[in-house]
Amino acid sequence: MLPLFAMTAVAGALVGRAVWRSAGLSGRAGALIVAPAGLLGPLITMVPLESCTFEPERGLMDNAVGTVAFAGGAAVAIAAVAWIGRALSSPGGLGNLDSGGDSGTYRHRPLMPWLLLVPTLTILAVFLYWPLVETFRLSTHLVRRGAPREPFVCVDNYTALLGPSLEWWFVVPAAALLVAAVAAHVARRHARPGLDDTANRLARLRGALVVLTVVAATASVFGPGYRPVFVTTLILTSGTVLIGLAVGLGIALLVSQPIRGRSIYRTLLVWPYAISPPIAGILFFVIFDPLTGIAGHIWETLTPWEMPNYRTDATLARVVVIVASIWKTLGFTILFYIAGLQNVSTQMLEAAQMDGANAWQRFRHFILPSLTPITFFLIVTNVTYAFFQVFGTIAYLTGGGPSGATTDAMTSIIEVSTGNIGDGAAGSLVLFAMVLAVTAWQFRATGRRVHYGA
Amino acid sequence: MRRARAIAGCALAALLVTGLTACSDEPEDEGAIDVWIGFTDYRLDWAKERAAEFTEKHPEFTVNVQGYESYEVLFDALTAASQQGEPPTIVQNFEAATQESRDAVNADGEPLFASVEDAIGGRDEILGEPVVLDDVVDAARSYYTVDGEFSSMPWNTSTTLFYSNSTYLEAAGVDAPPQTWEDVTAACDKIMALDDAPANCISWPNHSWFPEQVLAEQGGLLADQDNGRSGRAENVDLTSPEWLSFIEYWKELNDSGHYYYSGVQEDWDGPKNAFGGQEVAFLLTSSGDATSVVTEAEATGFEAQVSRMPVFADKPYSGNLIGGATLWLVDGLPENTRDGALAFMQYLNNPENAADWHKTTGYIPITNSAIELLETEGWFEENPYQQVATDQLALSDGSPAASGVLLGSFVAIRAEITKAVEDILTSGADPATRFEEADAAAQQLLDEYNSLYSG
Repeated sequence: MLPLFAMTAVAGALVGRAVWRSAGLSGRAGALIVAPAGLLGPLITMVPLESCTFEPERGLMDNAVGTVAFAGGAAVAIAAVAWIGRALSSPGGLGNLDSGGDSGTYRHRPLMPWLLLVPTLTILAVFLYWPLVETFRLSTHLVRRGAPREPFVCVDNYTALLGPSLEWWFVVPAAALLVAAVAAHVARRHARPGLDDTANRLARLRGALVVLTVVAATASVFGPGYRPVFVTTLILTSGTVLIGLAVGLGIALLVSQPIRGRSIYRTLLVWPYAISPPIAGILFFVIFDPLTGIAGHIWETLTPWEMPNYRTDATLARVVVIVASIWKTLGFTILFYIAGLQNVSTQMLEAAQMDGANAWQRFRHFILPSLTPITFFLIVTNVTYAFFQVFGTIAYLTGGGPSGATTDAMTSIIEVSTGNIGDGAAGSLVLFAMVLAVTAWQFRATGRRVHYGA
Repeated sequence: MRRARAIAGCALAALLVTGLTACSDEPEDEGAIDVWIGFTDYRLDWAKERAAEFTEKHPEFTVNVQGYESYEVLFDALTAASQQGEPPTIVQNFEAATQESRDAVNADGEPLFASVEDAIGGRDEILGEPVVLDDVVDAARSYYTVDGEFSSMPWNTSTTLFYSNSTYLEAAGVDAPPQTWEDVTAACDKIMALDDAPANCISWPNHSWFPEQVLAEQGGLLADQDNGRSGRAENVDLTSPEWLSFIEYWKELNDSGHYYYSGVQEDWDGPKNAFGGQEVAFLLTSSGDATSVVTEAEATGFEAQVSRMPVFADKPYSGNLIGGATLWLVDGLPENTRDGALAFMQYLNNPENAADWHKTTGYIPITNSAIELLETEGWFEENPYQQVATDQLALSDGSPAASGVLLGSFVAIRAEITKAVEDILTSGADPATRFEEADAAAQQLLDEYNSLYSG
């Protein structure tokens, strides 16, 4: 473990040096301030874990998880110290942490703001921070409700999820990424400004391949038990979000047309949003019931084929779950897109029309870019919905079946918790990490293309 | 005006707070007997009626029956309540949770339940209610007694029965309901060859109880230590040839299109509805549903024949398992409340009530005197199908295999089993390979359970 401490301390020093220099301060001071954070940060995770992952009898997987936890603790400490430390070292002190120049301070009574914040902070602490800390604790124990004991099991609950293996679907995108990255680099060097688009296209391709590789890498780290859950979560989430947004925008465009009674349509369209996810699950359960469901009846009247039973057909089960959750969120999406469409400048559209832009071009180059803030917001809320709320629909619609085809991360957490709540806690922290990663990616990828107007 | 509103608001808040504190300070009522059961249908109504009668007979007690949607939900609620230090008085726990109930501890780490037989302490009657525990039929006795003593009071007890649609049997020229699994296949081949054949031939819930039944029939054990009856079970076995033989048979029925899988694990309603809607010709389900299956069939316009659960023709027969639940008595009650609870348990199972419970549901008459009462009434002559369950259970040889397994984490292990079966039925997994995986998962659950509770 000592070399690890040395490494994080050095990493801290390097980060500190770079950060302080970029702020125009002395690099040496930065290194001296942040290095201790790198040295002590790992204790955030190693003390609660009692450094169990590095005990001699532990396996390779335990060591690997331990190293990640070690680095994670160091990273958190380094980031926090570097961020706050730099602000304190610069003229202006903590005020540097406020974004922009529109922050205010209480000049005379520093106690007052804290008093006013107490109710909020109490609620956050009791219902958010404490459960988070408790989840960390549970994830390292074998926990059964009502059991007389709660033994510490190190990171077993995490290693149970893992089982890395090298698969073709990881190797192929990784190799493609390598080729694209090299090609993009070469193209950029030889690009003649303003004449060809190759460099940009390659850069975009590289971006897509990075996402694909990261997803494949994550999937290949998980073991045979959790990998299908990860894949299912991806399928259900991307299906719900992408199709939901496309359909929502389409309907919003339709009801934004000057047609008679559109306010009635709008009201009716928002309706499903008021229904809770489990109810949506029950509704679709009845609609798609293999014996008495109306969906099968209509299908068999209109087509010569018999509709497969979604409760035993994996593909259809996923489709039905996606349809149910899209139906459920559609009202919300439509509502926001209608509002967004009302803000699209009609003058701009008229100008485009006079310049000869057809309907598709106007949509692609004017309406869609004008809607990016709304789309960004909807992606964030819909992804959150797909991660956390679809569970309610799944529970009543398929129960995670058939054969786990609709067991997403949340459903799997509930399922494993019946045996060991620690497994569920570990699963929820993995989901937590996934949500963090997706949100960070969204802010990077979507944030860049968001136009908030002048 | 604003001040007046503020004062009124404060007063209201104060009133609410004092009101709530007053509620929580209420002294414990020794006459209150809280009974939690895992039913929400007509069976809950039946229990509530008996509770009302008992309260009328013994006005010093108030029996409150609370229904839960399933045994699993009930067990969760019980765990939560006992951790809060507020368990009910009597809890109905299903047979799969017998080991877990025996091991359950309360908030102080003491055993949650008292042994019913101990609490009765050899008395012949409690508060005027005659004790019927020693009159309980052998099938229930052999499942629920460990170390020769009842930990809990039997109540609803069932076994698996085979239901046939007579219309299809006659049309296909099958003389009698199939007695063996081989007969089932043969009858299904004939029925499915009919011009107006049903969608599928046979159905039963994907519930671990059914393969467990066939394992018991052949005398196979699910766990070591004589199925956990001569000591705490430490190894579970889901790879024995007796176990896999039925899983393979199940897969064959499914792959040939004979078996209808509703697609939902532990779904009791799907198969029953398919049988009631004549979508399948045969149904395997609990005898606890006998009354409703037979009467619903009559209402639809066909006759449902009830027969014993099929067996493999060339295998030995040990017996069939019971299913159902027992009433557990919470430990540490005031003596008065405890006796009231015991008296209610005896009242619920007295010959008249046990016979009525049997007639209402199809659960077996739980005491010998209830059987006698039904015989004198001529009930079985009028309704011969109601005797099949009792007869089937009487064939048991009383061996550990036929008595059924006592296993920690059994509910979670059963979930592993139904998951594996679903993989075999819907994604074509290989029974032997898939059950090796399930065996490992089940063993881990058991190891974890034992590490928490034993020693």
